[in-house]
Amino acid sequence: MASSDACIHCNLPIPPGDLVVDEIDGKELRFCCRGCQGVYRIITGAGLTVFYQRRDWHDQGVPAGAFEAEFNEAHLADHVTTHDENSAVIPLVIEGIRCASCVWLLEKLLVKERGIETVRINYATHRAQIRFNPQEISPASIFSSVSRLGYMPHPFTTGAAQEAAEREQRSLLIRFGTAAFLSMQLMGFSFALYGGYFHGIDPDVRQMIQYFAAAVTTPVVFYSGWPFLSGAWRSLNNRAPSMDLLITLGVLTAYGYSLYALTDGGEVYFDTAAMIITLILLGRLFEGSARNRSISAIDKLLQLAPESANQVGGEEIRTVASSCLAPGDLILVRPGERIPVDCRIQDGESELDESTITGEPMPVVRRQGETVCAGTLNLSTSIKLRVERVAAESFVARMARMVEDAQNRKAPIQSLADRVATLFVPIVILIAAGTWAFWFFSNVPHTQALLNAVAVLIVACPCALGLATPTAVLVASGNAAARGILFRGGDILEMTARIDTIAFDKTGTLTLGKPTVEQIIPAPGQSEEQLLQITSRIESGSSHPIALGIMARAKLAGIITGAAESVETIPGRGLRMAGKSEEVLVGSRTFLSEYGVEIPSVDSGALTEVHVSLNGTWCGVLLIHDPLRNEAVHAVSSLQQCGLQTVLLTGDHTDAAEKVCAQVAIIDYRADLGPADKVTWIDAQQQSGHKVMMVGDGINDAPALSSADVGCAMAGGTDIALETSDLVLARPDLVRLHEAIFIARRALQVIKQNLFWAFAYNLVTIPLAASGKLAPIWAAVAMASSSVLVVSNSLRLGRMIRRTFSVAKQPASN
Amino acid sequence: MMKSIVILIVLSLCIGTGAWLFFIRAVKRGDFDDVEGPKYRMLDDDEAPPVPEKSHRGDNYEK
Repeated sequence: MASSDACIHCNLPIPPGDLVVDEIDGKELRFCCRGCQGVYRIITGAGLTVFYQRRDWHDQGVPAGAFEAEFNEAHLADHVTTHDENSAVIPLVIEGIRCASCVWLLEKLLVKERGIETVRINYATHRAQIRFNPQEISPASIFSSVSRLGYMPHPFTTGAAQEAAEREQRSLLIRFGTAAFLSMQLMGFSFALYGGYFHGIDPDVRQMIQYFAAAVTTPVVFYSGWPFLSGAWRSLNNRAPSMDLLITLGVLTAYGYSLYALTDGGEVYFDTAAMIITLILLGRLFEGSARNRSISAIDKLLQLAPESANQVGGEEIRTVASSCLAPGDLILVRPGERIPVDCRIQDGESELDESTITGEPMPVVRRQGETVCAGTLNLSTSIKLRVERVAAESFVARMARMVEDAQNRKAPIQSLADRVATLFVPIVILIAAGTWAFWFFSNVPHTQALLNAVAVLIVACPCALGLATPTAVLVASGNAAARGILFRGGDILEMTARIDTIAFDKTGTLTLGKPTVEQIIPAPGQSEEQLLQITSRIESGSSHPIALGIMARAKLAGIITGAAESVETIPGRGLRMAGKSEEVLVGSRTFLSEYGVEIPSVDSGALTEVHVSLNGTWCGVLLIHDPLRNEAVHAVSSLQQCGLQTVLLTGDHTDAAEKVCAQVAIIDYRADLGPADKVTWIDAQQQSGHKVMMVGDGINDAPALSSADVGCAMAGGTDIALETSDLVLARPDLVRLHEAIFIARRALQVIKQNLFWAFAYNLVTIPLAASGKLAPIWAAVAMASSSVLVVSNSLRLGRMIRRTFSVAKQPASN
Repeated sequence: MMKSIVILIVLSLCIGTGAWLFFIRAVKRGDFDDVEGPKYRMLDDDEAPPVPEKSHRGDNYEK
């Protein structure tokens, strides 16, 4: 985008006619509106001009005009927590944060406000805590300060589920920190004991060190290891052996045996017990932090709809809570406000940004009698709406419930390690029991029989088994993240490897969602340039995406026109310019036909037609097309080569679906699907035994994303799509999808190898232990070496991924 | 010898416990809640940019 026609502040192209020129410090600066000019002056006025060099914006923020709303003091007061009369805190979510500089700017500018004490903004979640002095500033004026800078604040209260998840994550972190700290101490003691084993040690010193070791291990087992202990208890209650049970078994026997050895003068294995817990906690910590973000998805959905509405009663307009609105009420929504509940338009027509609902970036014109959804943004004019449904029944709320249902219904993915444990635990216990029984009836002391049985449990301990999955998952997801592929947890990684069907959404996923001029068909006797010339003169005044596409094409052809005067916009249909000597019409076929223009039939395929006429004669047609992503064809074919079924699921009409399918070589498609239909289709596939991945970007895909085995969203999609998905591509590049599947498949392969090695080790050592022939130190050596083997096999996975993609990158890009 | 080992071990445990308490405090204060932001924040200059003298605009942005 050339800098000359982009707004200095928001970086968007300046619609002709809206240009605002300001002179600051002797430099001429061009803005797209007074709002941007105002924000620029605030920022430079505070000496923070460096923001403009620092920022790194890729996507659009809050649309201009979103800031005219008044903030309602009474509603905000509910969200404020007051500490004492000079200090209160308000939590909020700030819409429109796009990069770290936005956080920086907000924090710097807000603390300059009188009465605001501290501002803390979480970059990852866009949540902020503002501590202020209620005597000096009111919550509403804090909110308007935020919105003056071009960001949209929403009051925010955390849901109970999310709060619980956050507490959980914190307690996990503390448990891990404690385990890590104590294990480090323990390693020191263990090294002394290892040394003593080989070189001899004073028995008193040895015993003293053993006591210290016992002292530091006890909290690790019973405090840090509590999640495993309670998990094991649950699995016993459910009679379903799990990994937790196996871990607990190993830890408790190692710990219990060591306590016994402590009094008996034997070797202790406290380090084994502590290390298992520490390493496995680390794995869970990583998984938990990735998973945590998805929990807020539902909250965020509901937060889209504003909490207050302007109710129209007779002559006056009152502000009421959205939840009080009943069907039949009349409300007024001004430009820049979101629609609070599902409504039907009573009066007026306006362009709405429905991208939060549909994922389609184009504004849509809604006129009298049409329904509008809660959470959509009114862009151009004030409209009067008749309430259709109460807030709890709105489309957004129903969608949130569907997502919640889908998430609850979805059976937790049983990881490979868990399934192995189901088999392995009973076998180990049986062997241990058998060992005890065998020795009990032989001619050895009874304690010896018990010790041999315990030895079986200790060597069967899941050190390598426990590490097999987490290390591979850690390496795979770490390397994937470096390539912009984010797996939300190890089970997702395993599931992705098992996928056999991929369903794509169309707009924004396979296509770019940005319309361009595909073809220009001038009327006989006209040239393409003439046609473009006429069209661009009219369209230059419009900010509709199709108009922008046409202007871009005109600029490419070197056509520069001034803005035409007296252009009339007929929303959703076209433009009409009636000059002194000429009348130009640009728009749909029906629009031109209404004015009596005769249009020959045009073979447009599935493209959108924009017809042009001059003084009643047809001049030609521009065919508009939402192009495919560059890499779509290549990406889909490489996915098909992996043996995956590809399907297109779209809400669009059949022609458009067919056209896209033909281009990317997808054979199967389903058109005209609503959000619920997509879920039904996916459920049906799952019933017939398929493992389905859904790739989508809109709010209408959210239920499908969460009901699919793996939901995948790309950066640039709606927030809700990103948060309900299990797999996120941080760059909007479909080739990464193929990489994700490759990495997942390799990771699963490595996990299987690891499990194999862990078992091979058990296969050798369990019989030795059962026969009472395994010297403790050899058991320890074998255990350590099997762990090293497993860890280095997992590290090999990382090298494999890096090598494959550093070579494969070049051919993939063309 | 025995005594010195005990003293050293207990000393190391005390130091460790100090670090551990510090860690617990940090978690409780929420220092680990946002692990994404600080890596960018560190690039920001701490020096407060000069606030311009009285001007006709942005009056309420000065303390």
